[in-house]
Amino acid sequence: MKYKSQKVAYWFFAACMGLLALQLVYGFIMGFAHMGFDGLHSIIPFNTARATHTNLLVMWLLTGFMGSAYYIIPEEAERELISVKWAYVQLIALLVVGVTAIIGFHFNWWEGRKFLEIPRPLDYLVVVDVLLFIFLIGGTIWRGKRYTTTSMVLFFGLLMTALLYLPGMIPTDHQTMDSYWRWWVVHLWVEGVWELIMGAILSFLLIKQTGIDREVIEKWLYIIVGFTFLSGILGTGHHYYYIGTPRYWLMIGGIFSALEPVAFLGMAIFAIAMAKKGGRTLDNKTALNWTIGCSVISFVGAGLLGFAHTIPQVNMYTHGTLVTAMHGHMAFWGAYAMLILAIITYTMPIMTGRKIQDSVMNAFAFWVSNIGMICMTVAFGIAGIAQVYMERKLGLDFLGVQKEIEVHFLGLVLAATLFTAGVIAFIWNFIRYGLPMDSKR
Amino acid sequence: MFSKSQAKAFFLVGTGLCAGAFILLTIDTLKRIPKQTYSQNLTDEAIRGKHLFETNNCAGCHTILGEGAYYAPELTKVYERRGESFIESMLRDPEAMYPGQRKMVQYKFTDSEIKDLIAFFKWIGEMDLNGFPAKPDVMRPAVQTEALPEHMVSETAKLVRPKVFDQMCTACHSVRSQGGTVGPALDGVGTRRDLAYIKQWLISPTSLKSDSKMPKMPLSDQDISELTSYLSQLKEVN
Repeated sequence: MKYKSQKVAYWFFAACMGLLALQLVYGFIMGFAHMGFDGLHSIIPFNTARATHTNLLVMWLLTGFMGSAYYIIPEEAERELISVKWAYVQLIALLVVGVTAIIGFHFNWWEGRKFLEIPRPLDYLVVVDVLLFIFLIGGTIWRGKRYTTTSMVLFFGLLMTALLYLPGMIPTDHQTMDSYWRWWVVHLWVEGVWELIMGAILSFLLIKQTGIDREVIEKWLYIIVGFTFLSGILGTGHHYYYIGTPRYWLMIGGIFSALEPVAFLGMAIFAIAMAKKGGRTLDNKTALNWTIGCSVISFVGAGLLGFAHTIPQVNMYTHGTLVTAMHGHMAFWGAYAMLILAIITYTMPIMTGRKIQDSVMNAFAFWVSNIGMICMTVAFGIAGIAQVYMERKLGLDFLGVQKEIEVHFLGLVLAATLFTAGVIAFIWNFIRYGLPMDSKR
Repeated sequence: MFSKSQAKAFFLVGTGLCAGAFILLTIDTLKRIPKQTYSQNLTDEAIRGKHLFETNNCAGCHTILGEGAYYAPELTKVYERRGESFIESMLRDPEAMYPGQRKMVQYKFTDSEIKDLIAFFKWIGEMDLNGFPAKPDVMRPAVQTEALPEHMVSETAKLVRPKVFDQMCTACHSVRSQGGTVGPALDGVGTRRDLAYIKQWLISPTSLKSDSKMPKMPLSDQDISELTSYLSQLKEVN
C-alpha cells in the first residue's frame, strides 16, 4: 500500500461483505416463497424481501465503488486522501441511511418504485452523502500530482452516478412519466455511467496486474467506454417499448440495444488480450481470475442475455416475466459484483500484508460462486421461458402457471445454495486476512 | 493503429452525439405521452390510486406496464380482465379470494382508497402501449375451439357465457381447461347439480357446505340468474 489513507477502502469492502451476505438471505426467502413455502409472509412479505434484496445489491455495489475509488485515487493522483476522517463519516452515514431504509421496508415505509424504493426523505440524505464522497475524491484528484485517464474516467463515472440520481426525484402523477425518469436513473446507471466505473477499475487492475504500459490500456479504455455510451444511451429505449411512450422507441431501442454487447465484448477481449500480453509473473492469480471472469460473465449476462431479451418482438412476450430475472442476475453478478470482488481480492493482500490470496479456499470461492450463478441463470431461464409460453403464448392463468414452474425454483434454490457456498468461502477468506496494517510498506 | 487522443475524441464525440439525440427524443416523447396515455382521463382518484400503489409497493410483487416483480399477476389490463367488483373484493380481503394460494398482504384499504386504486387500474388499462400485453397467439388444441361440441349444448337453450363468468369465476375455476386452478373445474357441473342448488351456492357457498373455502362473491341478482342458467347447461360429456 503506497498511501496510508488507502486503507479506508478496507472498511468499505468489509461493509460490502456484510451487505452481500444479507442480500443472499433475502434472495432465499423469495426463492422459497416461489416454491410455495411462504411461512414468513406475515413478517417479511414478498414485496419487502424483494425491495430489500435489490436495494442491498445497489447499496453494496455503491459501497464497493466508493471503496475502490478510495483505494485507486490516492495511487493514481499520487497523494493521500484529503481527509480520512470524513471518508469514515461518509461510510457510516451511508450505512445508517441504507439500514434505516431497509428496516423501513419491513414496516411498509417506501416509495415503491422498482429499484428506487428508498423513501423520499432518505433520498436527500443519500444525495448529501454522495456529494461528500464526490468532494473527497474530487479534492484528492484536484490537489494530486497527476491526472490520469483512469482516475478521470472513474471520477466522471462517479460524478454522473450522483447527478443521474436526480431525475428519479422529478415529481409526477403520471405512471408513464414516472417510469420514463426512473429509467434515466436505473438504466443510465447500469448500462451507462457504471460501465465507466467498471472500465476504469478494470484498467487499474490490468495496469497493476499485467505490467502493460498505461498508455496502451488507457487508449483502449476510451474506445470501450466510447462504445458503451454509443450503445447504452439510446439503448435506454428498450425500457420505452411498452409503457405508453411513442412507437419509434421500438426501433431506436432495438437497434442500439443490439449494439450493447459490442461494448461488453470489447471489454472481455481487452481484458483477456492484456492479461495474455502482460509479462509480469503473477503473485495474485485469483484476482486476475476475477478480473477476466468479470469481463467474460458480464459479456454473457449483460451483453448476450440482455440482447436476447431486448429484441422488441421477443420483449413483447418476455417483458415483465422471470426472463428479466434471468438476465438481471447474471448481468449484475458479472458486471458489477465480480468487479468489486476482483478489486477486493487484489487489494486485500496489499492492505493486510497477508498473502493468502491464492489459497484453496479463495479459488473455491471463485469457481463455486460462478458455477452456482450460471446454474441459477439457467434455472431462471427455464422457469421464465416456461412462464412465457404458458401464460403469454397459450393464455393460461397466472397462478396455475406459477404452480407448474414451482419445480424450477427447487432447481434455483439448489443452484443458489452452491452460489452461497462460494460467497461464504469468499467472505471467510476476507475475514482470515484480518485488519489492514498501519505502517507503510 | 490510432492514438490515444483519437480514441479520446471518439469517446467524446460519440457520447456527445448520442446524449444530444437522447435529449431531443426525450423532449419529443414528453410532448407525445399525454395523447398516447389519455392524460385527460387521469382523474384525482387515479392519481391517489397511483400514490397508494407506490406507498404500498404493489410493484414489489405485481407488474404494471410490465414493470415490477414476478410473484403476482400483471395488472395492466386487470380492470378489463376482472372487472370492478372482483378487484374491490380482492382488495378488501385478498386471502378470502384465493383460499390456500399464494398470499397477498391484507392492506385494510378504506372504501375510498379501493375506489382510487380501481380508478388507477382503469386509466392504466386504457393506455396505448404499442400492443402490450400481446394476445396469446398459439393455437389451442382443436377440441377447445370457441364453438362447443354439440352434445354439450342444451337442447332448449343456447349457451351464452355471461361476462361476469369470465371476469370472476375464471379467476379460480376453469371450463374446458380455460381459467384458474384454485377451485374445481366446472365442466359438467350442470349434470352434477340442479338449478336450485347452483343458485343457492352462488348466493352463499357456506349455506350448502359449511367448510367451503369459496368466498361469497359480489354478485347482483341478475348475475346470479345468468350464471345459474349458464352453469346448469354445462352438462357432462359422455
